Amino acid sequence: MAISGRVPLLLLLGLVAVVLRPEGSTVWLWLLGVLLLVGIDLAVAPAPASVTLTRRQPGTVRLGDPATAGLRVAATRSGRVQVRDAWQPSAGATDNRHRFHLRAGESRRLTTPLLPRRRGDLHAAGVTVRTWGPLGLAARQRTYDVPGTVRALPPFESRKHLPSRLARLRDLDGRAAVRVRGQGTEFDSLREYVRGDDVRSIDWRASARAPHVVVRTWQPERDRRVVIVLDTSRTSAGRVARSVDEDVADGMPRLDAAMDAALLLGALASRAGDRIDFLAGDRRVRARQRVHGVRDVAARLQEQMADLEPTLVEADWDALAGGVQEFGRQRALVVLLTALEPSAIADGLLPVLPALTRHHRVVLASVRDPELGHLADVSATDRPTADAVYDAAAAEHELERRARMEEVLARLGVDVVDADAAQLPPALADHYLHLKAQGLL
Amino acid sequence: MTLTRPRRTTVLVALALVAALLVAVWSTRGSTEYPTPLDPRNPGPDGAQALAEVLDDQGVAVTVVRSADALEDTTVGEDTTVLVTATAALSPRTLDRLRRHAEPARLVLVEPSYSLVREIDEDLRATTVYPDEVEAACEAGSAPAGTDLSDLTIEVDQLTVFTGGDALDGARCFPTSGGVVVAESRAHDLVLLGAGQALTNDQVLRADNAALALRVAGGSNRLVWYVPDPTDAGADEVVSLGSLLPRWVVPGLWLTALALLGLLLWRVRRLGPLSREPLPVVVRAVETARSRGRMYRRSGDRRHAAGVLRRAARTDVAARLGLDRRAGTGEVVEATARHTGAPLEQVAALLDDHGHVPASDQDLVALAQELARLRKEVRRG
Repeated sequence: MAISGRVPLLLLLGLVAVVLRPEGSTVWLWLLGVLLLVGIDLAVAPAPASVTLTRRQPGTVRLGDPATAGLRVAATRSGRVQVRDAWQPSAGATDNRHRFHLRAGESRRLTTPLLPRRRGDLHAAGVTVRTWGPLGLAARQRTYDVPGTVRALPPFESRKHLPSRLARLRDLDGRAAVRVRGQGTEFDSLREYVRGDDVRSIDWRASARAPHVVVRTWQPERDRRVVIVLDTSRTSAGRVARSVDEDVADGMPRLDAAMDAALLLGALASRAGDRIDFLAGDRRVRARQRVHGVRDVAARLQEQMADLEPTLVEADWDALAGGVQEFGRQRALVVLLTALEPSAIADGLLPVLPALTRHHRVVLASVRDPELGHLADVSATDRPTADAVYDAAAAEHELERRARMEEVLARLGVDVVDADAAQLPPALADHYLHLKAQGLL
Repeated sequence: MTLTRPRRTTVLVALALVAALLVAVWSTRGSTEYPTPLDPRNPGPDGAQALAEVLDDQGVAVTVVRSADALEDTTVGEDTTVLVTATAALSPRTLDRLRRHAEPARLVLVEPSYSLVREIDEDLRATTVYPDEVEAACEAGSAPAGTDLSDLTIEVDQLTVFTGGDALDGARCFPTSGGVVVAESRAHDLVLLGAGQALTNDQVLRADNAALALRVAGGSNRLVWYVPDPTDAGADEVVSLGSLLPRWVVPGLWLTALALLGLLLWRVRRLGPLSREPLPVVVRAVETARSRGRMYRRSGDRRHAAGVLRRAARTDVAARLGLDRRAGTGEVVEATARHTGAPLEQVAALLDDHGHVPASDQDLVALAQELARLRKEVRRG
């Protein structure tokens, strides 16, 4: 039950009675009267169970975009009703307390604006119904579990890099002036020679039959496979700054930066005519999706990534490599989105790499932590403390191990793309375009 | 030396001040000691010192007592009159003690209040009147216990008069429209005197006031003049702040407290439980490097820390100078010395692992700074 502000007011009104009859018993009689009124009101108030609640799911939104949670309230008895549609705090529910009068048999639609602040599935916490008695003194209250979920997709902030990369892709593609014959390109068409074309691409046989010189054009290979592997193990939980001059507090976990990079690569590769396979996991495979012949690849990938969270376990690369092989034995570009953490890679990834590189072209994309560079730089302050110097030594040690690991990986034929969180998506996209231009897929 | 000797005028002023102070203290001595009206030691206009002095001169032994305990220490016999002034300070329980102790003597209460006479007898009433002159005209035979009050006329500004049917069964003198000024109650063995002003220094000489005062107070050889002290009253009889407040205040406060409780119950009830947030694990990625740094620090492994810093500097410098990655230490040192123009030994001491091992944390800091400076120099050049 609950009482309203009218109860203390009614009690205060008893002061008049006390002034008129200044006895202790007046107080108790008045209290008794007020309690009686409250009791009657409570007894007459409709039960919260007389209100039926129906949820309209808010659906899926991109992180940072608003959503609306709907709730249909119907009552079998008239009365004043208060409803609170509670969500977990990061769902950003505002104005979720509703107060209205409902007649018997009537129903009403309530909407609660949501603004998700975290990626993933955000749940409703319960709907509280408070039904008031006719005097408005007392109410009955009950909380019901009315399941609701809003799915917040990864924001795909690197979308802004997509147009420039697509323009670069068109340069590679048959539609623009630069058409160079090379390894891994496919014959596209014949056209008239214009100045600037490579003389090596002139097709003499066709020119002989035509009134003018004809060149052959080439286009990059299409229908290649790109396998994106997202590591959600312990190393992906580390929070890093977005770029060198930003603070870690405004940063994000490595996993989110890796997702951004994966989304840009997926969107770009699908526009280039390649087929995307997506795999995410740590000790076991958590998400697996073949995205072939779909228009909006990014949306499908976002859907897959929405509820992925870093887990504090070591990655089982055997399982992940197995997952990659299950997509097919056709040669593919395998992009491993993991942290360049020497110990984690040496223990888990290195043993399975040869098997991968034998069949596929492997790229390791890692989110760099700019903080490590700051830590190693002693000259940042005029008078470094002993602590800072020991930290710098530790950071230099770590950087050195990383450099050595990069060398090892390069020797195994793995390309390493290591960049800050904000720079990784365009860097990975550029590397992909580079491979495509070279016909190395 | 004018500084060491005080000026004459200063001394004179100081002496005058001291003298004035002494005169003031002497002249006010005793005057404010007993400021209570009708006090036998109060020489002021409303005091009764004159009466006490005259009685003393007339051979009446006047004993002044100022508390109930002191009164109980004095012996009160047949030939004694107990005169009580300042009766406003008399609480019911002190009155009881007084009456018990003054049993054999005659008790005279001067201007007892309405509530005090109600304490003595339910039927007694005291009222205040403002008459001009009042004549004795005693009824019911004689005046109280052997005093002759007939043919007297008193003249005061304010009088307390008594009525009260059966309670006033003794002599009754000085009747006014509201009651009598001097009344005797044989049943309770006391005399009520309503003309308090007739005893004051100021008004004792008006009309026959002095005669009344002397005859009432000087009826016996001994007079015990009791000036009650308010502190004689029991703790529960003391006039408290509560008894001065309106009666509805206490129940009103109770009701307000109940209303506050209601307010609390109203505000404390939440509309549904708090909603919880499943929080993810958030670790700073650099945390492992930091803890490694702390481990170096705790173990004090300066040789290792210096080695790491030197190796990092060598790698960096070699890369800047375009040397092969596998180039030896000597090669790097030579190239660096050539590039910066610094002496070879100095650069070697800085970059070579076999160079000086820092003996203290300060040394390590200095080495780190030197290495950073060298790297910067190479980068600039």
